[in-house]
Amino acid sequence: MKRLIRYLLIALALLAALTPVYWMITISLKREVDQFATPPRWFSFSPTLEHYADAFLARSFGQYLLNSGLVAAASTLCALVIGTLAAYALARFRLPYRLDRKLALWILSTRMFPAIVTAVPLFLIMRDLSLLNTQLSLIIVYTAFNLPFVVWMMRGFFAELPRDLEEAALVDGDSRLGAFWRVVLPLVTPGLVATAVFCLIVSWNEFLFALVLTQTDAAMTLPVGIAGRVTQYEIKLGVMSAAGVVAMMPILIFALSVQKYLVRGLSLGGVKG
Amino acid sequence: MSIILKNLTKSFGSALVVDNLSLEINSGEFVVLLGPSGCGKTTTLRMLAGLEEAGSGDILIDGERVNELPPQRRDVAMVFQSYALYPHMTVADNIGYPLRVRKLNRKQITRQVVQTAAMLEIEALLQRKPRELSGGERQRVALARAIVRSPRAFLMDEPLSNLDARLRVQMRGELKHLQHELGTTTVYVTHDQAEAMTLGHRVAVMNKGKLQQFETPLDIYNRPANRFVAEFVGSPGMNFFDGRIDAIRAVFEGDGISLAVQNGLELYRGRTKPVTLGIRPEHVQVSTRQRDNYLAARVYVTELMGSETFVFLQIGQRRIIARAPGDFRAEPESTVWIQLDPTKTHFFDPESGKRL
Repeated sequence: MKRLIRYLLIALALLAALTPVYWMITISLKREVDQFATPPRWFSFSPTLEHYADAFLARSFGQYLLNSGLVAAASTLCALVIGTLAAYALARFRLPYRLDRKLALWILSTRMFPAIVTAVPLFLIMRDLSLLNTQLSLIIVYTAFNLPFVVWMMRGFFAELPRDLEEAALVDGDSRLGAFWRVVLPLVTPGLVATAVFCLIVSWNEFLFALVLTQTDAAMTLPVGIAGRVTQYEIKLGVMSAAGVVAMMPILIFALSVQKYLVRGLSLGGVKG
Repeated sequence: MSIILKNLTKSFGSALVVDNLSLEINSGEFVVLLGPSGCGKTTTLRMLAGLEEAGSGDILIDGERVNELPPQRRDVAMVFQSYALYPHMTVADNIGYPLRVRKLNRKQITRQVVQTAAMLEIEALLQRKPRELSGGERQRVALARAIVRSPRAFLMDEPLSNLDARLRVQMRGELKHLQHELGTTTVYVTHDQAEAMTLGHRVAVMNKGKLQQFETPLDIYNRPANRFVAEFVGSPGMNFFDGRIDAIRAVFEGDGISLAVQNGLELYRGRTKPVTLGIRPEHVQVSTRQRDNYLAARVYVTELMGSETFVFLQIGQRRIIARAPGDFRAEPESTVWIQLDPTKTHFFDPESGKRL
């Protein structure tokens, strides 16, 4: 009985999570007449790839995809490099007046106000730097946005790691940075991967800043590009869905390929030797 | 390589952890820092390694002041209580790590790793990861990693405390042999007095950050500098009686016993101040039959050790321990007769605890 309830709950959760995805996939494959049919056609429709062709050949969704990929990858990388080093310092070094704790909290506090508060100042800054409509502006903003998250995640992973290991490396003759690179970092790889996945997802899906900072096809990312198909005269459901299906893929593939790290990273403590 | 500590002091916040510690360790010597937890022995070792900053005082290795040198430039090797093996590396990579960071070429590293592994009989494990090893094997790998680069000194922080009792005794012997073979100056931290007695050329007993005594194990055992050392070294520890010496009759009296004083009586001549008498369990004779000059005592409990029996005795308010032969038997609450060997007594000042 208990098992039955458990499976029922799982099925319910899956239903809630996957129905929209299923609906999006079918819409991307339906002709427009089928999209608006009442009652809705769940299974029986004649599939077509015309929306995919429309999105990626006739329109610039290919470019958006590229932009999204570049922005997400570059901002994740930057946030990981800067954030990991900062987190290591915060986890290992005691500053006077407990500044290390205060600093960590202050870093976290930058995530406490709503993102939109910074939209206007960031727009003005980017305009003055002539960075509007560039991927670089988004890379900078996303890096800043992801940093607190990286610092806090990685700080936890570093704190879990016994100090003995680094101290052994130091006494064995390695430098601080060498010990970090050869001993510490390999041991927090699962945590690093889990953090990277979260950063990627956030950057990949981000809409607000992308909308404010990029208007041109050359710089626009997928979420903005997709939303842009809702126009005054028509809503291109097929094109939007086709782009949505493609947008889903990279993160899905990445998450699946690093699954073994992800599980260990999420269940902290997987780094103990 | 000699190691000299001069007036070394260290405090964490307001807590004084190491208090004005001075030690001179000769080249090739095996010195044990012995003391209860929190006595500052591990902190001392970490200051030697460079992992902890020295508060004040000097640390000299081979005549060179190393206070400001970071650990990687002190050329000492450390064995941690947790072994601190790198979990993501194979045994071979673990042992070779100190060589790799010194940029030796691959061939040389392999040769030295294999050689060291052979010395510790772990050649078969070289391709394994630390988590696939037993405690004793991990211990050997940690030792191999320390030995491989022939450092100026070995620093060991309770390296045997994570092993089971049988293995600990075995590794203790191997460690002593190894140090003898290599002749490398070794500083070894432990709270286990048996390890200290068996391993050290000299033992530095510490308590509350202060050095209590620094001598050979036998001297420490036979002539403890104060009551703390007498109690801490030896298993079971020394028995104590509080009383006075009557110099005219040459008798110690107190705590329900009276004992003719024989050794070093001149020290107490004319003395009426209270003293503490100490006597080791093996110098307390126990008999189930009444004899001349024996005192009556009540058996509290006996502990069979096989080769010997520890007899816990109640004399007035005092509880003492006697070491009896393995075949000694007595029921709790029964009366036995004891004699304290008057030539084996120690006297301490009850106030300062110092040996008289």
